[in-house]
Amino acid sequence: MASKAVKTFITPLGKENPVFVQILGICSTLAVTNKLENTIVMVLGVIFTTTLSSFTFSILRKVIPARIRMMVETLIIATFVIIVDIALKAYMPEIWQQLGPYVGLIITNCIVMGRMEAFAASNPPGLSLIDGLASGVGYAYVLVIIAFFRELLGSGTIWGFSIFGEWWTNWAIMIMPPGAFFMLAIFIWVVKGRVAE
Amino acid sequence: MKKTSFFSERIKPVIIMAVITIICIALVSGIHLSTQDLVIANEGLVLKKAVLFSAGVNLPEANSEINSLYDDRVEQKGDVFIVSGSSGGIAAYAFIAAGPGLWGEIEAVTAFKADLKTFAGVDFIKQNETPGLGARITEDWFREQLRDRQPPLVMNPEGTESSDAAEIDAITGASRTSEFVLSIFNDAGVRAAELKKEGM
Repeated sequence: MASKAVKTFITPLGKENPVFVQILGICSTLAVTNKLENTIVMVLGVIFTTTLSSFTFSILRKVIPARIRMMVETLIIATFVIIVDIALKAYMPEIWQQLGPYVGLIITNCIVMGRMEAFAASNPPGLSLIDGLASGVGYAYVLVIIAFFRELLGSGTIWGFSIFGEWWTNWAIMIMPPGAFFMLAIFIWVVKGRVAE
Repeated sequence: MKKTSFFSERIKPVIIMAVITIICIALVSGIHLSTQDLVIANEGLVLKKAVLFSAGVNLPEANSEINSLYDDRVEQKGDVFIVSGSSGGIAAYAFIAAGPGLWGEIEAVTAFKADLKTFAGVDFIKQNETPGLGARITEDWFREQLRDRQPPLVMNPEGTESSDAAEIDAITGASRTSEFVLSIFNDAGVRAAELKKEGM
């Protein structure tokens, strides 16, 4: 049991990472990674949602008839995402404003529903919780790494603090969506081409 | 094949779906209602901060101090906020100026000095510009450069830092956003001239 839990946690971090192996959740990977601060808030929202959605759905999995399975999944995800949205609006209004529509779009993040379908629907709640958490963390660290380099090269700052100083010319391309494509491609190349071998 | 009854095939899914929906709605509504006051207070605070900042008043740290300072110094007349100076008299007239942005509407609070010709300052209360590019309109250097400027304004490349009262710096890489905010500022100048005619 313990070893199965460990395996469940480790697999989504590397071998079956949702972002660089399964290439899921790319839209938000591209959209929110131009500032580290926004990225951290976004990935915490995703970790919260994917953990609790998988857990909740796993509890309900034997009660729910197969034909309404997907409706229930969407409903559960939407509920948790709206909770994140309201919490941000109330307690972190400035970050909520900057993230704009992206928090709501966690609902359509394929990782969340994908893990419910692929794992929580056929596994007990405890393991589903671990799987949801690990998938969220697997998504999170990739985004944080990409955001780190995009903010550093695009704005010359980390977490809003100036790193390079005055002489640095900002790479505007890194701030814009194409910059995320380049960063993600380089990341996948490094991880799959170099590390995996 | 196992024969399924009409109930378990048709009715049960509907009932289960309805029950889960009601639970989810109750949960979300409950959280929404319990944080509603805080959200409204936050929105009010954003506007209060913007009015005081644009009028050139130094902002205290604590939210309660901002509220009491605002109550002390600001009087709202129609949609114009009249900000008084620390030693009495009128320091600035502030009003909300809005216009299109690159991704969504931009709303700014623009404040003019008592002559209604010179900017006291500006602050942005709503914008969806590209983070790192257009969204840099909310950075201090961009907002601060409006102080003591006189519209109609023209824009120079970023880093020019002209001392001419009719010139401000644009943002490199965000030409469209710069044009949009420039027109908001200049429209605000027209509005201020109208207020003067109305005898403000």
